[in-house]
Amino acid sequence: MTTLVPVTYKGGVYRHDEIMDLIDDLGGYIVQKHVMAQDVVLQSFVPRDDIDLIREVAKPLAGEVTEAPLVGTEIAVVSPSLEIHHLPHTACDIAEYLRRSGAKTNMVGLARGFGKRIANLNDEERDIINEHDLAVYALGNFEECIRQKFPVLRQGIHVPIVVTGAPDRETLMRIIDPPVEGYVGGVGRIMHRFKRPEELAKLDELVDEVSRTLDARRDDLARDPLSIFPPRLMAIIGERIQEVSMLTHPTPVTAQMEGLRVKLPYDLYADDMRSLEVADGITIGDIADVKPSRMRNYILIRIKPFSETRILV
Amino acid sequence: MPPLNYFVVESPDAVGREAYERIAADVLQDLDLIKVIDRLHIYVDPKVPIFVAAGMLRHMPRAIRVSDFANVNPGEKGIVIDIGDETYLAPLLQKLWARFGKESVDQPDRFTIVLPAGVAGEEDLGHVVVADPSETLYKDVIYALQYIAPEGFKVRRQYIRDEKFYYVASEDTLPGDIVETMVRPIFAKMGVTL
Repeated sequence: MTTLVPVTYKGGVYRHDEIMDLIDDLGGYIVQKHVMAQDVVLQSFVPRDDIDLIREVAKPLAGEVTEAPLVGTEIAVVSPSLEIHHLPHTACDIAEYLRRSGAKTNMVGLARGFGKRIANLNDEERDIINEHDLAVYALGNFEECIRQKFPVLRQGIHVPIVVTGAPDRETLMRIIDPPVEGYVGGVGRIMHRFKRPEELAKLDELVDEVSRTLDARRDDLARDPLSIFPPRLMAIIGERIQEVSMLTHPTPVTAQMEGLRVKLPYDLYADDMRSLEVADGITIGDIADVKPSRMRNYILIRIKPFSETRILV
Repeated sequence: MPPLNYFVVESPDAVGREAYERIAADVLQDLDLIKVIDRLHIYVDPKVPIFVAAGMLRHMPRAIRVSDFANVNPGEKGIVIDIGDETYLAPLLQKLWARFGKESVDQPDRFTIVLPAGVAGEEDLGHVVVADPSETLYKDVIYALQYIAPEGFKVRRQYIRDEKFYYVASEDTLPGDIVETMVRPIFAKMGVTL
């Protein structure tokens, strides 16, 4: 079986459809396509052995293929609030940098994430964060505040968490109990755009920390694979449900590590989704849970593992 | 950042102190207040919790008059105002319209305003006050301090008068004597009595 690796293709609009066709022909999947003026960015999964072939085809088009460890993941960037204190810098800079590595990021601005005494997390915020593959908490400058606040902000969160804050990594590890999956020190509340080399190095460290955490999850998944590879299900849905192509969202179907978020109303499309045939006699309902998402009225598809369904598409 | 004459950030948390030094510098720079603030002392302790910022302003900017940015040339047919800097053109037009009526204020191009000789009379147009930057300056300084202070510190007391200002904030109720116990000693460190 060929291994699919996450890559980003950056190139011009001119003849980019040839690259899309090539990825398709090679058995790869395009998870996200961005067209920005003259440029195209394709986040995709391609067979490892064929990366050189794609590079060769892309050469005359001045296209560039780079490994992007976070393609096919949806990450929540949690900011204590949407006030000027936390945005646009830190939270947005982090989100943007994660997107450059291929992730789909969503910003979660908490209603009451500030103040040691009053900070809390409501059920909607908790459920939305739990719908992601990983949550990055962009916390502030004081050790004392992180120590007091963080246990409340993580209450009920069961997805992996990576914490950023101004205290160094060791301090963060000491004050956070029980431990979380990743820590990046030296990134607190910053009021300017991340542009100095040491600041960008911190963002690189964050991407490493996030991909290390997600790789650990991928290893778990390799031991008990999902009944269907999410980007494959994404391609099937895109092909069979016409309405998806009419959505104006940048990612009408968002790929996650263990499922998909389909941006169609749950009430109208959930049944069609469940009964959609993915292979001979196998419907989505057989291999996945189709649930309402807490994000607007979207549909959340959670793919069940092979051990549960005994089906591998 | 060109240095203020006095800029100190104090905190029991060393990492936090450094971060707040940078935050304060960034905010003052972003809001273009470095030229306005002369001295600033910040004390922040998240354990209490308390945030105190105290400081002095430089001389307040004086009121802007027509002669500061334009030439007034009285002529036989009318008075021609020749605009040098457009920054205050809009408030000037507002003033002229209010005083002489829109029909009497002619603006043939961006940099010229013509008033009929009879309407303006003998009045010295050059001395008309167009804008007073100090009006909004107070608001800007308090906004900057609000922006610098930790977000959770919602309970606050602020003061700005005679070039001295302070801003005290906390998560909890502020004690009634906070100015005597915390703010005065900080002013004393800067060599100023409140």
